[in-house]
Amino acid sequence: MAVKKKFPYRAAVVACNGGCRAGKTQDTKCIYGCIGCEQCVIACKFDAIGINDFGIAEVDESKCIACGKCVSYCPQNLISIHSCSNPIVVKCSNHDKGKAARSVCEVSCIGCGLCEKICTADAIRVIDSVAVIDEEKCLSCGMCAVNCPRGAIMDLRGILTGR
Amino acid sequence: MSEYTFTVNGVRRTVTEKKSLMRYLRDDLRITSVKDGCSQGACGACTVIIDGETCKSCVPTTDKLDGKNIITVEGLTDWEKQVYVYAYGEAGAVQCGFCIPGMVMCTKALLDKNPDPTDDEIRYALRNNYCRCTGYVKIIRAVRLAAKIMREGKIPEASSTDWKMGSSVHRVDVEEKVLGQGKYPDDFYPEGMVYASALRSKYPRARVLAIDASKALELPGVIDVITADDIPGENKIGHIKHDQYTLIPVGGLTHYLGDAICLVVAQCREIVEQAKKLVKVEYEVLPAVHSIEEAKAPNAPLVFDEETTNVQAHEHVSRGNADEAIRGAAHVISQHFETPWTEHAFLEPEAATALIDDDGDVFIYSTDQSAHQTLHECQLMLGTKKVKVQNALVGGGFGGKEDMTVQHHAALAAWKTRRPVKITLTRAESLLVHPKRHHFIMDFTMGCDENGKILGVKAKVETDTGAFASLGGPVLQRACTHAAGPYAYENFEIEGTAYYTNNPPAGAFRGFGVTQTCFAVESLLNMMAEKIGIDPWQIRYRNAIRPHGVLPNGQIVDESTGLVETLEAVKPYYDEAIAAGKPVGLACAMKNAGVGVGLPDTGRVKLIVGNDKKLHIFTGASCIGQGLGTVLVQIIVESTELHRDDIVYERSNTWISPDSGTTSGSRQTLVTGEACMRACRSFMEKWNEGKRLPDLVGEEFYGEYLAKTDPLGANVPNPVSHVAYGYATQMCIIDKKTGKVEKIVAAHDVGKAVNPLSCEGQIEGGVVMSMGFALREKYEIDDNCKPTEKYGSLGLFRAHEVPEIVPIVVDKPGLKVAGGAIGLGEITSIPTAPAITEAYYQYDGERRFSLPAVNTPYNK
Repeated sequence: MAVKKKFPYRAAVVACNGGCRAGKTQDTKCIYGCIGCEQCVIACKFDAIGINDFGIAEVDESKCIACGKCVSYCPQNLISIHSCSNPIVVKCSNHDKGKAARSVCEVSCIGCGLCEKICTADAIRVIDSVAVIDEEKCLSCGMCAVNCPRGAIMDLRGILTGR
Repeated sequence: MSEYTFTVNGVRRTVTEKKSLMRYLRDDLRITSVKDGCSQGACGACTVIIDGETCKSCVPTTDKLDGKNIITVEGLTDWEKQVYVYAYGEAGAVQCGFCIPGMVMCTKALLDKNPDPTDDEIRYALRNNYCRCTGYVKIIRAVRLAAKIMREGKIPEASSTDWKMGSSVHRVDVEEKVLGQGKYPDDFYPEGMVYASALRSKYPRARVLAIDASKALELPGVIDVITADDIPGENKIGHIKHDQYTLIPVGGLTHYLGDAICLVVAQCREIVEQAKKLVKVEYEVLPAVHSIEEAKAPNAPLVFDEETTNVQAHEHVSRGNADEAIRGAAHVISQHFETPWTEHAFLEPEAATALIDDDGDVFIYSTDQSAHQTLHECQLMLGTKKVKVQNALVGGGFGGKEDMTVQHHAALAAWKTRRPVKITLTRAESLLVHPKRHHFIMDFTMGCDENGKILGVKAKVETDTGAFASLGGPVLQRACTHAAGPYAYENFEIEGTAYYTNNPPAGAFRGFGVTQTCFAVESLLNMMAEKIGIDPWQIRYRNAIRPHGVLPNGQIVDESTGLVETLEAVKPYYDEAIAAGKPVGLACAMKNAGVGVGLPDTGRVKLIVGNDKKLHIFTGASCIGQGLGTVLVQIIVESTELHRDDIVYERSNTWISPDSGTTSGSRQTLVTGEACMRACRSFMEKWNEGKRLPDLVGEEFYGEYLAKTDPLGANVPNPVSHVAYGYATQMCIIDKKTGKVEKIVAAHDVGKAVNPLSCEGQIEGGVVMSMGFALREKYEIDDNCKPTEKYGSLGLFRAHEVPEIVPIVVDKPGLKVAGGAIGLGEITSIPTAPAITEAYYQYDGERRFSLPAVNTPYNK
C-alpha cells in the first residue's frame, strides 16, 4: 500500500540494540530490553518493522509512516517516534547504572554521563540512568555516539557507527 | 601497527595515526576547505560527505573510517563547482564565507539524492549547519537555484552584469569562498610552523604569586614557555585604554578567566596542551566581582589595582529640560528594562599565524577588523616598528574581532622563538576571551501629550563592561546618544555608567549599545501608543525625524533622512496584518554611520596600477564579510570608465594599504567609499589627459576623506555628531496557530544601495541575529565568572527556524559623499527585538521587559 509521507519525515525507532540476544536465546538478561515478542511486527500494517539477526525488533525507515501502532503495542515501551533527520539515537532503555547495566548487555547505557558532558547543544541528558536525546536541540553531529564507551548510541545511517 | 584505508576525493589514503578526520584532512592533506569552526560538532563548517551522507568531520576519527568514501569541496566535479559558484553568487549567499564549504557539501548531499527538493527539504538539509552572517535566507535560495540549474543542465547569465553602483552583481570573492580556496589565518602552514596556546587564569580575580614552567620545558617537543618578563615593549595594550595584560606578570592581578598567564610553544597541538598542564602557577585567590550590583557596592573589591572605583565610564547627556517636559506631559510611563550578555558566535574562531619575514619583521596573518589596529597594538607590545600585518579572509566579526585576542600572542611567540607560530582559539576559549555585547540595566521615563507627541525622555542605564575597558566607553556613549530614538523632540536626558567586573569583557557588538537602549525606548513608545489609544504606526509617523528636523541630540539632519520612507514602506504590510487580525509589533531605529563625535574617522584608499595593467585597490579597511571589496569595485566602475575586469581588490595590509580605520560603526561603505571616489577623481585627471592603464603602470592615486564631526558636549547649538544616520522600521507578525514568528518585514534607508543584494543579505542576517537576541540566545556566566563553553547551546537560530523575512532596501539621496551611500551593518539588528516583544504582547497580552523574551515556543 503506497502511503504518502508528510515532510518532515518521522519514523518509529526501537530503543534496544539486542546485546543480550533476547528472542534468540530466550535467555533475556536485560529486563528493560526487547524480548522478541513480535507484537510490533503483527501490529504493523506496512511491513515496516521486523526481527533482526540479534533477535530484536528493528524498523525499516523507508517503509514506516509513523502511525504509532507499534509504539502502543510494545509491552516493554521500547518504541518511540523520531524525526528521520535526526539519525543519532540512543538504542538502550536500561535504567540500571554502571555494573548492573554492564553485566546484562555488552552495549547497554550505563548512565556514565560522558555524552552529557560532550554534547555541544545540551541535547542529551542522563535521565533515570539512561541517555535521552532532545530532538529539537540535537544537531545530529554524533559526538555522543562516537564517544560513548559502550556503543549504546547509534548513527542509523551507518556512517559514524555500525547501523 | 593498525592501518586504516579510506578514499578522499577519489584518492586512496592509508593512515596509521588516530585523529579526527577534520585534523587529518587539514593538517595532513592540507584540504583547507574543511574549516575548524568549533571541533565540538556544533557549527558544521567542517562538513564533508562520507558514503553519500553529510558528516561533521570533527566527529569521527580515522580509525573508524576504514573503507569509507569521503568527499570535500575539492572533490566536486568541474560542473558541480561551476553550478555552485554561480548559484551561491547569484543568490547573494556568500558573506564571510566560513560556513560556505560546509553548506556546499550539504547542498551536494541533498541534490544527489533529491534533485527537486521543496523549500522545507532544503531547510532541513541545512538545519545542522550554522551561519551567523546571512540568516540562511540566501543560502536556501542558492540551493534552490543550484537544483534548478542541475535539472536544466545549463548555467544562465548572471542577472546583473553592469558593475556600477546600484547593481546586484556577484561578489568578487564568491569563487574563492565557495571552492574553499580563500585563506583564513588558520589555512596558512608556513614551513617549520609550530603551535602555541595560552595558559589562562584558574581564577577570575587572583594575584599571580609564582609561575614555574620547569616541568613543561622538560617535555620533549616543547620549544618555549613565554611569560610577561619576555615582553620587550608594553605588557598592557588595549583598543583605547591600555588596560589589557598581554600576559599576567608575577605580582599582577588577573581580571577574568581569559587572562593569559603564559604562552606555551611546541611542535604540535597535543604537546602544547600536555605542556600547559605541567606549568605550575601559584595564586592568591581573591574575592571576585560578579555583577553590576557587586561592582558599585561600597567597599567592593577593585577589579583594577590602578583604579579607585569599578566605574569604567560615565556619561551624562542632556538637552533641554526633560524633567520639566515630563512633569507637564498628559501621559507619562516609566519602565525598567534588562537585556542580557550576547555572544557574537562568528563562525571562524580567532586565529593568527605569525612568522619572521625576509626583512626581519614580525609578519602576522590576521583575522580582525583593522590590520592597522593589530599593527599598533603589536608594535606597542614588542616595542618596535618592525611589524607587518596582512589581513587574511575574516570569518565574521560583528565587533568581536576589534580587540587583540591571538594576534599579539602569535606575534610575541614568533618574535621570541624566531619560528612561524600558529595560534587558534578553541571555541571554548573564543567564547571566554573576546569582548561580548554588554548586559544593560535600564530605567526609562517618557512623557507625551494627548496626541502622542513625545515631549521628553529621561533615562538611566548601567552596563557590565567586564574585565577590561575594550570599547565599553564608546558603547556607553552611543547607547546614550541614540537612546532618544529617531524622533523630533528637544527634552532628553540620560545618565549612564559602565562598571568593571570579573566577568569576561564586554565591548563592540553590532548595534554598539543602541541595540539595548532602542529596545527600551521603542517598547515604551508602543506602551504609550496603547495608553493614549493611538496606532503604533501613527505615533511613530507623528514623531518621526524628517529632513532638516532637529534630533534630540541637537543635530540638524539632512535631506537624506529617510525614516518616514521606511515607515511608509512597511505600512501596506502593517495594514494588511492588522486587517487580518494578526498580532503585529513595530519598531523604528536610527544608527550612526561613521564613528563620529569628533573622533578620528578617516578613510584612505590607494589605487595602484600594477604590472598586470590593472588597477589594484589598497585600503586598510577590513572586509569581515559585509562585501566591502565588491562595493569598492562598483564605486570605481561608477566613478571611472574602467571595466570590472580592469580592477583588483586587495586584502588590506599595513605596508601598502593606508589606514582606513576600523570596520565598525557601519562606516566603511561611506567613509572608505568616499575616499575611494576621491582617489578615482585623481585617476580620472590622468585619464582625461588621454592616459590609459598601460601608460600608468606603477602610478598611485590616493584619496582621503575625514568624516568630520563635533565632539560630544561641543559648545555649538546644533552639533554634527555623525556625518550620516541610517534609519529603519521593522515589523513582526506572530502566527496565531503556532505562537512562532510568522514574518518579519524590515525596511532600511541606506541612502544609495551600492549592491542591493548585499544590502538584503545584511538585513536578513541582522534580523535573524536579533531574533536570537530577542527570543532565545543565552550567554550564561556561572558563579565563578565562567561562561558557557558550548557553541551549540548558545541558542542561535538555525535554517529550519527562520521565518519569512521581507527585506526592503530604501534609497534616498541627499548625503553629499560616497554617492549618497550610508552603511547598514548594525542597524539591521537594532529594532528587531522591540518589534518582536510587541508582537508577542499583541498575541498573548504579556509584556516582556527583559530579553530573551519568556513564555514563547522558543524559550519556555
